[in-house]
Amino acid sequence: MSQDLISKKDLLDLTGISYGQLYRWKRKNLIPEEWFIRKSTFTGQETFFPKVKILERIEKIQLMKENLSLDELADVFSPDLTNVSLSYEEILKRRISSKPVMDFFIENIGQLDEFSFEQTLTIYILEKMLQSGNINLDEGRMVLDVLLEHYRKVESKTAELIFIRKLGMSTCFLASNNDELFFEKGTKIIVRLSLASCLEELKSKWT
Amino acid sequence: MGLGRKNDLVINGFGRSNGGRFEDVVLNGKGTIDGDVECKVYDCNGLGTLNGNVTAETVRINGKGKINGNIVARDITVDGHASLGGNISHESLRISGHCSLGGTVKGDKIKINGKAIIGGDCETEEFVTEGLFTIGGLLNAEEIDIALYGECKVKEIGGQSIRIRQKPYGLIKLFRSLFPTRLITDTIEGDDIYLEGVRAKIVRGNNVTIGNNCEIDLVEYYEESSIDKGSNVKKCIKL
Repeated sequence: MSQDLISKKDLLDLTGISYGQLYRWKRKNLIPEEWFIRKSTFTGQETFFPKVKILERIEKIQLMKENLSLDELADVFSPDLTNVSLSYEEILKRRISSKPVMDFFIENIGQLDEFSFEQTLTIYILEKMLQSGNINLDEGRMVLDVLLEHYRKVESKTAELIFIRKLGMSTCFLASNNDELFFEKGTKIIVRLSLASCLEELKSKWT
Repeated sequence: MGLGRKNDLVINGFGRSNGGRFEDVVLNGKGTIDGDVECKVYDCNGLGTLNGNVTAETVRINGKGKINGNIVARDITVDGHASLGGNISHESLRISGHCSLGGTVKGDKIKINGKAIIGGDCETEEFVTEGLFTIGGLLNAEEIDIALYGECKVKEIGGQSIRIRQKPYGLIKLFRSLFPTRLITDTIEGDDIYLEGVRAKIVRGNNVTIGNNCEIDLVEYYEESSIDKGSNVKKCIKL
């Protein structure tokens, strides 16, 4: 897997954060352990980070830390499923989903009093895809089936939902780790969503 | 289970148990538990061995204790000789005797007065020692306050304020050549750093003060630095 790396020193220079902050965030699990990549250089062992991911994460932390404590932030970034559930009205109120998408979900899965975190995530993803106009309702049903059936099996930290179309025929699938995927010529990738970022977005709406 | 107060597990003399959920677990004598334990107080006074994980409020080891699983506890105190095989998560960990910890240690507060050997990483808010320690991985803490009494080793140190001092000797002066008091590490990174008796490859920070008896290959600092004459710093760069 080739990706752009940034050294710890460059990262601090670029973002203006201090060592203390960086280590504090590491302790609070705001930066995942696996992003700390150790490599030997001419000065000895140095730590590198995946550049795009870490910069995006630091920006988010700096943006959100004014309103949330570090512990609350850690909850936002941890992909653990919380046990909380939401009612129909609360989902609408928190702008997780619009009414038509909620009704579409209920139509397919049946009326529920409370929606679990996992169901809410599915709704949120559907909302994103349907509202963007990338897929139609029939295709939405397909996405729903895939998510409901396979969501538990994949590692939500790295999984991606991919929706493709060729000559008007569409399909979608969940890829459980972010290896590169290669498609046939003429295949159009309509949507490529990282579940982890959906989780983060959803959690930020949740709190 | 679940009927109000749970039972205690007490082993006086020789005994063996399969673990379970208890109020207090007390091992006096030679006790062995095979299985996980969930309790309020885990108190080991003799020669206790636990082959399993512990979840407890308080864990006290006074004799020679061995726990071969993970520990999740609020307070952990070791006054005797303990060997803890798994990962540890705690609020406060105090080691006054000799303790070897196999996995990673995560918590709020660590105080070492005896000797600790940590195999993995050590992440805590406060790290205070007046003793000996060896850490195989990264020591990451908000406040690091180390008083050196012998040779300590850490792979890497990172944190906000890092203070490492050499203790003035009394009687121990005689043994000084036998047990050099120093800390050996690859990298030290922090915002405020004060070092004495440290041998490191790289020291990086905002404010770096190098005291007596240091041997450092490279110092990099952002704001201020000072280097004592008694130290040997090969290169010092302001970033």
